[in-house]
Amino acid sequence: MTAAPAPAALITGAASGIGAACARLLRGNGWRTAGVDLRASQTDLAAVVDVTDQAGVTAAVDAAADRFGGLDLVVTAAGYYEEGIDVAEISHGQWDRMLAVILGGTVNTCQAALPHMLARGEGAIVAISSELALAGSATDLHYVAAKGAVLGLIKSLALEVAHTAIRVNAVAPGPTDTPLLAADSLWRKPDYLATLPLGRLVTPGEIAHTVYYLATEGSMYCGEVISPNAGAVI
Amino acid sequence: MPTPATPAGDSPATAAGRTVALVTGAAQGLGHATALRLAAEGYVVAVNDISDDGRLTALAERIGGMAVPADIADPAAPPAMAGVIAERLGPVRLLVANAAAMDMSPFLTARPDVWWRQIDVNLSGHFRLIQAVVPGMRAAGGGRIVIIASEWGVTGHANATAYAASKAGLIALTKGLGRELGPDGILANAIAPAYIDTPQLQVDADDAGISLDEMRQQYRDLIPAGQLATPEDIAGAVAFLASPGAGAMVGQVIQPSGGVTRTRA
Repeated sequence: MTAAPAPAALITGAASGIGAACARLLRGNGWRTAGVDLRASQTDLAAVVDVTDQAGVTAAVDAAADRFGGLDLVVTAAGYYEEGIDVAEISHGQWDRMLAVILGGTVNTCQAALPHMLARGEGAIVAISSELALAGSATDLHYVAAKGAVLGLIKSLALEVAHTAIRVNAVAPGPTDTPLLAADSLWRKPDYLATLPLGRLVTPGEIAHTVYYLATEGSMYCGEVISPNAGAVI
Repeated sequence: MPTPATPAGDSPATAAGRTVALVTGAAQGLGHATALRLAAEGYVVAVNDISDDGRLTALAERIGGMAVPADIADPAAPPAMAGVIAERLGPVRLLVANAAAMDMSPFLTARPDVWWRQIDVNLSGHFRLIQAVVPGMRAAGGGRIVIIASEWGVTGHANATAYAASKAGLIALTKGLGRELGPDGILANAIAPAYIDTPQLQVDADDAGISLDEMRQQYRDLIPAGQLATPEDIAGAVAFLASPGAGAMVGQVIQPSGGVTRTRA
């Protein structure tokens, strides 16, 4: 009798911030991990790929599924942030790039991973959205729109595969202490933090913990959005 | 993953170093499963139900906890329960507000005492219980409150106006407590399950005039994921909200319902 192989995850945006925290927590719990990022990630199989590159993402996902014999979990954390831009000043280039990375990257990753999960009839997809998608926000509309679109995608995809044991959900973090937030970001200012019930930023580890819960005990969540947000949106 | 058993704060836990939890409505169903799960994770668990027909004591003995039978709708009960638990085990650091009265009756013909009984237990009973345990949580430097709400508190349901009102009230209470107690490190969150395979299903089946198995199938047909939640699924959600890693969860409602409502709360 052989022991069941360790579960396997693929994480986009695995080189830093929330994605890196997910990779670290999963590896610490014995998972095998593959990372997709613009830079090499601390994973067992690190692909350097832009998530807007559909062929590149598909190749990375296929390679991970081949290497691990399938994928138990996919986390879509790749993204970036731009703040302090009035709506009228968001260029078409900025808009297109934001949608391509956050929404398009999630689509590319889900489309590549789903056939592998469908072949086994099970798996978990967890998309990282944002509390801003729930509450709205000024001066970062392209980011908010993209993160909101991810929620629509995730809720619909969840229903599309609900008859299988594939579960699709989202985590909507509050402002999280990652390199995405510049040192002078509005979300780091004491005046803002004082408005939060917990008075502090969320840690990347707290987001990873939520992802891990969905991955390991999440069979009854289907299109859910879980919000470890320090009280930013209640 | 390994889950340390101190839900919040840094002050020493009690009862031989273990964190004290209180679960209401623990004689059966998801309260029972939750008590077992928390005990397995290292909590020392006080278990409550409206009376002890032997099940509550048997559970307490099995998990090395303590039985505190009482009707939480009796205004004298919550402070007495909190007092005796604090004396025997230490202050409650994790409250799981699960006990519920439920009756299916058309709104216009519902008996007022039956209607109000559901508010008295589900909402007012837990309001008083939270009041009774929060001072101990504050003194200990933090705590967790996990409120078992219901999908019907989100969506409403025919013939369940009192139950839905009580659960909707609990959701609003969760949000208010999240804001009010969050700064003290006391994190209140809620779980809104939909259809769980518990003895409660028999009440629904009786109301619908069908068998228990027919009721189960009717509910499965309503659930995108096609499966009823188990009490253990909900116990897992409680354990998540109580865990140290969930320290950024406050005032939230999570719905392990198989996709019935999808974050409508």
